[in-house]
Amino acid sequence: MNHILKSVRKDCDEVTASSIPLLYKLKGECIFITGGTGFMGTWLVEMVTFLNDVYSFNTRLILLSDRANNFSAKASHLAMRKDVELVERDVRNLIEIPEVVTYIIHAAANPDNRMHASDPLKTMDVISRGTDAVLNAAVRLPVLKKLLNISSGLIYGPQPPDFDSIAEDYRGGSDCGSVTSAYSEAKRFAETLCAAYRSQYKIAIVTARPFAFIGPYQLLDKPWAINNFIRDSLMGGPVRILGDGQTVRCYMYPSDMAFWLLRILIDGTPGLAYNVGSPHGVTLQQLAEKITGNFPIKPRIISRVAGESDLYRSKLVPDVTLAQKSLGLNLTVDIDEAIRRTLLWHRESGIKGI
Amino acid sequence: MPKILISDSTLRDGSHAVGHQLNSHQVAVYAAAAEAAGIPIVEVGHGNGLGASSLQLGESLISDNEMLISARKHLTNSKLGILIIPGFATINKDLSRAIEAGVDVVRVASHCTEADITERHITYARQKGKEVYGVLMMSHMAPKEMLVDEALKMELYGAEGVILMDSAGAYLPSDVTEKVSALVNKLRIPIGFHAHNNLGMAVANSIAAVEAGATILDGTVRGFGAGAGNAQLEVLVAVLEKMGYSTGIDLYKILDAADIAEKEMIKVIPSIKSESIVSGLSGVFSGFLKPVNRIAQKYGVDPRDIFFELGRRQVVAGQEDLIIEVAQELSHRRDIK
Amino acid sequence: MSTIPKKIKVAILGSGNIGTDLLVKTLRSPLLDCTLFIGRNLTSRGIAKAVSLGVKVSDLSIDAIVRKPDCCDLVFDATSALSHVKHVQILEKLGKIVIDLTPSNIGKMCIPAVNLKECLNHRNVSMVTCGGQASIPLAYVIGQTYNNVDYIEVVSSISSRSAGPATRVNLDEYIETTEKGIKDFSGCKRAKTILNLNPAIPYVDMQTTVFVKVERPDVEKLKPAIDKMVNKVQQYVPGYQLIVPPTIENDRIVVMVKVRGRGDYLPPYAGNLDIINCAAIAMAEEYAKYLLKKGE
Repeated sequence: MNHILKSVRKDCDEVTASSIPLLYKLKGECIFITGGTGFMGTWLVEMVTFLNDVYSFNTRLILLSDRANNFSAKASHLAMRKDVELVERDVRNLIEIPEVVTYIIHAAANPDNRMHASDPLKTMDVISRGTDAVLNAAVRLPVLKKLLNISSGLIYGPQPPDFDSIAEDYRGGSDCGSVTSAYSEAKRFAETLCAAYRSQYKIAIVTARPFAFIGPYQLLDKPWAINNFIRDSLMGGPVRILGDGQTVRCYMYPSDMAFWLLRILIDGTPGLAYNVGSPHGVTLQQLAEKITGNFPIKPRIISRVAGESDLYRSKLVPDVTLAQKSLGLNLTVDIDEAIRRTLLWHRESGIKGI
Repeated sequence: MPKILISDSTLRDGSHAVGHQLNSHQVAVYAAAAEAAGIPIVEVGHGNGLGASSLQLGESLISDNEMLISARKHLTNSKLGILIIPGFATINKDLSRAIEAGVDVVRVASHCTEADITERHITYARQKGKEVYGVLMMSHMAPKEMLVDEALKMELYGAEGVILMDSAGAYLPSDVTEKVSALVNKLRIPIGFHAHNNLGMAVANSIAAVEAGATILDGTVRGFGAGAGNAQLEVLVAVLEKMGYSTGIDLYKILDAADIAEKEMIKVIPSIKSESIVSGLSGVFSGFLKPVNRIAQKYGVDPRDIFFELGRRQVVAGQEDLIIEVAQELSHRRDIK
Repeated sequence: MSTIPKKIKVAILGSGNIGTDLLVKTLRSPLLDCTLFIGRNLTSRGIAKAVSLGVKVSDLSIDAIVRKPDCCDLVFDATSALSHVKHVQILEKLGKIVIDLTPSNIGKMCIPAVNLKECLNHRNVSMVTCGGQASIPLAYVIGQTYNNVDYIEVVSSISSRSAGPATRVNLDEYIETTEKGIKDFSGCKRAKTILNLNPAIPYVDMQTTVFVKVERPDVEKLKPAIDKMVNKVQQYVPGYQLIVPPTIENDRIVVMVKVRGRGDYLPPYAGNLDIINCAAIAMAEEYAKYLLKKGE
């Protein structure tokens, strides 16, 4: 196993170290993951296969993905395993889920906002029809224990300027008449669809609303601030900040994410939604400083205040009290460490797409 | 007062005025003058951007690369910019080479309703660590709501600003206020405006844009550009200064740069001729002027009739081939009468 | 009563707009029998249309053919370039003739008006691009008429409405494939392709202009050859018409054609999609004639 894969294993070990018993319910189960080869899916597979190898969990994984056959190119050490089964199919065309499945994580959706802009119809179709296909197949499963629907922190819409963070009971929302809401509105619809299936078929469905992540397996091609900062730093800079740098974001390391999702899957209360993300906000200015600070020759940071519109400043930080209090979840990797490990990963694996 | 980012299109849009015949010497001399004046971005290339040298749009005297290399040598603090229109140029053939030649700023343009074709090119340039803007051309042809949607796409693709081009010189100041405000209110990234002078409004429209919240303006010295030309840059800088906006450009030196340009490459100072007025009124791209005049003469038809017919057909920039078809049709119609 | 089959069996892989329009065209053909219309989802509009036309459907993608290899002799691949790469290996093993409508550009480039017979020797043909189908017949004639053609340029304008997400994200491939086709078929040294999307309403028809630079541009020599070629294309693309015959303007030869679609499944303004489908049908019918004759 090469160096960077070992480091991912270490990440899994670190986050579970004192909490293995909290995951015992997964032993001998069979988890069906839609979008199973994406960023989130890959980390879930890393975590479960770690549990299988080190703690003999004997948990089976079935991954559904429209690009399942490409998984071996991305992560051959996972794709070739006996405890991992791949099914190549567009989630919208899913008809049946193997009847041995006891848990489902529905994570299929493309979070790339460029695709949301260029093909909003497909974006909405994959989420609405895809979720329906999964739920429809789920109600026919004989031994299903619970389904985790991966929603999105974007369903809250813009965070009000006077809010420090957003809790699960916030009733905001994006402008439903704007094409830029295609993804978030579809995700809202999917949550309502889950509520309807829960009500009509009495299946146990719990929801996670993920925010932002940074770490291995995340490509840098998406035009998000942190990706640009990392990529531009790796290329020697300069790093450019749009606006005055006071926009606030938060980032969770993916080993924490995977642990949180598995905990919500097994012990989350059906009918509830849990925010998943880091509650520690960081301004883009601070973020750029933190990233460039990792280099012996610190890349230059350019703040580009081209206008003074308040729109430049936005904040998106989850209140994760619910997950912390009811499921005992915490962050094991802080932002500085997350950045350090992410840079290491990209240095060793080469910047994809460049 | 906020800072206004000036992008100088003299060596790009100005190419239209001389049939894309700028030579390396002219590019070098003007780039040096622009650098001396402290102009933030100097855009270079064929009038329709990278890879646009063609029989359709006019062939350049020298290649894109020669132009970029000539300019690059003289630009240190000023950034070297290019325009690329997907459909004319490709990443493999054109954009990757321009980036190798040392381009700093990439503007990816599409007709104002077709922003989705810019996704790949914006992504590519961002991945190369370049400063990237989206450009919506012929923006008089779409209502503000549609412009907002298209500009938002560019923002999502990773554009660091969106520039509305009045490619036909068709706007009046009130149109500018309406459209620029709409974009400023809905986008998080800076908004820019690129004015043409067909109706004598270029500087006034640029000021209207700034007052509506735009923070990027394009211009060319002496208004060097197709037909009636562009917003005259040295005037724009002076007016902005008088209004209290800062551009970071040295007034005397931009005036010098304009004088140098006039001596070195501007054979005829742009003025508003009859056909340019008609081009502005009919909402047809200013760059059509030379081929329309030439083809009108060949077929013995009135160039103004050609402009109005092209306007009626809602042609977009890049459809210069239709001029011949329209001229033939008009001449047939006349013969039948 | 003859027992000799009058039609060959064809399957259409891909139930999107292109595949569905092809289906309607296949049903009109005296030589082609669409035995299977294949998608990935039985609830898609294309599949619904096929069912309404009484055509057998499957949602098993390429597996539908793998499971029942004798369902067809020829396969139209109207999926995506990426999928075609996989399909072509499987279909080759099964001995199927493949007509590729994706921009993968793997098979022999096929322009029916130019190299129909030659393509019979190949079992995987690529229909190039819509702009290629409209312009290459003209470029070919130009290459035949003049020696040493230096440069050919093709400018196409299509209605924005007829350019879906896949077309938009693949503009670069469209340009490079069309340029390759022009060079290969005309023998010119340099080629350039430009594509404009026009959002005008009413929707504009596809229009393609070919510009040529040659040393001694004698258009009188070119005119009859172009007329003949346009006529040949019209045999399989009824909406193909010459709107500007060879003309010299500004030291360049200009020829312009327009393509109006038949309005089968797709609207008439989508001439760009119609022409590539019409060309694919022409090629399939040629294979049919060949196979049926061989079978006699």
